[in-house]
Amino acid sequence: MTSREPILVIKDLHVAVEDKQILKGVNLTINKGEVHALMGRNGSGKSTLGYTLMGHPRYHITQGKVLFKGKDLSEMTADERARAGMYLAFQYPVAIPGVSVSNFLRASVKAVRGQDVPVKEFRKELKEHLTKLGVKEDFLSRYVNDGFSGGEKKRLEILQMALMKPQMALLDETDSGLDIDALKTVSAGITALAGPEMGILLITHYQRILNYVTPQFVHVMQDGQIVLSGSGELAHKLEAEGYDFVTKEPAVATQSRT
Amino acid sequence: MNSDVHTIARETIEDLALKQKTPSWTKDLRLASWEAYLQTPFPTTRDENWRRTVIESLDLSTLKALEFAPSTSGADKSFPACFQSVIKHFSQANSTLSGICYQGNGRPGYIELSDEAKSKGVIFCDIETALANHADLLQPYLAKRNASKENGKFALLTGALFNCGLFLYVPKNVELKSPFVSGIGISTCANTSGDFGGAIFPRLIVVAEPESNVSLVHLTGSADTAGDNDCRSLPASLSASMVDVFVSDGANVSFVELSQFAQNVYAIGTVHNEVARDGKFTAVNVALGGKQVKSDIYTHLQAQGAASEILGIVLGSHDEHYSFNTIQEHNAPDTKSDINFRVALKDNASSVYQGVIKVDKCAQKTDAYQSNKNLLLGAGAKADSIPRLEILADDVKCSHGATVGPVDPEQLFYLASRGLPEKIAEELIVLGFFKKVLDKLTVDGAADWLVEAVSQKIDDSGYCA
Repeated sequence: MTSREPILVIKDLHVAVEDKQILKGVNLTINKGEVHALMGRNGSGKSTLGYTLMGHPRYHITQGKVLFKGKDLSEMTADERARAGMYLAFQYPVAIPGVSVSNFLRASVKAVRGQDVPVKEFRKELKEHLTKLGVKEDFLSRYVNDGFSGGEKKRLEILQMALMKPQMALLDETDSGLDIDALKTVSAGITALAGPEMGILLITHYQRILNYVTPQFVHVMQDGQIVLSGSGELAHKLEAEGYDFVTKEPAVATQSRT
Repeated sequence: MNSDVHTIARETIEDLALKQKTPSWTKDLRLASWEAYLQTPFPTTRDENWRRTVIESLDLSTLKALEFAPSTSGADKSFPACFQSVIKHFSQANSTLSGICYQGNGRPGYIELSDEAKSKGVIFCDIETALANHADLLQPYLAKRNASKENGKFALLTGALFNCGLFLYVPKNVELKSPFVSGIGISTCANTSGDFGGAIFPRLIVVAEPESNVSLVHLTGSADTAGDNDCRSLPASLSASMVDVFVSDGANVSFVELSQFAQNVYAIGTVHNEVARDGKFTAVNVALGGKQVKSDIYTHLQAQGAASEILGIVLGSHDEHYSFNTIQEHNAPDTKSDINFRVALKDNASSVYQGVIKVDKCAQKTDAYQSNKNLLLGAGAKADSIPRLEILADDVKCSHGATVGPVDPEQLFYLASRGLPEKIAEELIVLGFFKKVLDKLTVDGAADWLVEAVSQKIDDSGYCA
């Protein structure tokens, strides 16, 4: 039984980037312990929702609002959101040349947990996660995403998620660019982290990650709106029939499932 | 205090010559530079080389040369904090240092040479001691460019009045793993008289004989920059330095240099690195403070197989101005040079980088690379990058690249999404920007020391606090 305690409430969200309206009234509620998948064609606005929720300065909310743990997100900067428990796994993680993974992780863990973690303890914690994700230890001395393969980048995103223990995780195309083994490892990582206290929004173009991470709810986005919502079964229908049928069916309001 | 200083005048040379137990040619050498100095006009911003360095406000007649005592072993080891930190970093990374030399005005100089270096015939001492004890050996190296007019007015002044500095001589086939560490510290802020600016004229000569291998770490700076905001209103001071490095056939020299002056100091440096057949010269020049900081760095690749790699790190803040000119001279075939300058500017700091690659007609198969990247952190920060190629040979590989811009907002957002506030994120990015270059250093302890020095300046705590 999920507690039905909402962690993220999106109401009539309109978002623009440089005067271009991309989100045109998104409504979505995610409760603690729920895994939601957000699907849709490229350019439908999925990633925009992820960036907006995380607080990218280029994305402006022009109408509507988002409540994260009951608090209006628009009043928080990206780093404040992260410290409050929001996490975005990037579709294209950014390289920070010259900054080692271990230094970066220690700095962000310190920021998010609000205190320094003793070096020894932190090493141990890191090692456990590295093993689970099938990453060698020399990963830590490399520079953040600098010259990383697609699979390495995505593993680092999941490693960070494991360390930061967010309450709301936005996973933007975490499956893209992964071969099947990497996909299994990364999916197992996500599943291991999911729990009754955390909400997950899986943003994905393809259904294949949903074979490993099972969502309770699936939403389809089109032209900046959620046009269809349903149970996990919807993903299979989309896989079989493509996105074309969506346009022919009327939108189902997300609220109706509560 | 006034007995410790000389005005900048011909008589100063007489005084210096009298004081030092040096051979008579030293005085002639100084006077030749002095004459050339008098004949050379004061630079203006109309000079290509000086076009953004504001130097007119520096009145040389108000300056007095600070006095340094010769270095002795067993002298006082209570160095300023910045030099303590250098020794700490390099001592931790190396079992014993090959040598330590510290010179500060108004205090006894310190010298220490490891048993290994001593037994291998290495000479490591301040320049005055070298003139007294090793004059014949030093003479040709010292004289070579001492009165060379092309070095400009300030280097000529140094040639005439050098009052501190270093002589490092490494005999043939001698290899020393751990570095020599040297420092020159001046007090220009806490000048008790307060009514005149101080001047120092460091003269450094490094000679690596064939097949030798040596590394030198050198720090020059204000030993009293703590809270250096106040220094800006103090009388202008000057550091005019001249460095000559001679890398003989098959020798390998690494030179790590950091300068950090208070904001009333004009720091003007001229560096010549001469590399012979199959010699290898690696250097990092780090500039972390001063009112106007200007360096001309010449690298002369003189014979086949000579190679150089020169890295630059500049972190400016407040109203500091930096001007670095690098000249890569390929005078022989199959020579290789690599220059990589990285500049980050806070507040209203500004920088001009001018890089010249010169390839002689005979220097076929030259491989030359030059890169200059600038990060603008402050709203009023400004950077210019001016590359120039003068290539006379027709079978060469030469490339250059430059960038100027703010920190990538996508990097900032990525770090913000991991909970890092903008200030911390920016510091991390800037340190990484420098670290990429410092990774090329092979001197143990150097990268750590420089990262710490840079991070303290980013924090604005001042390195020599």
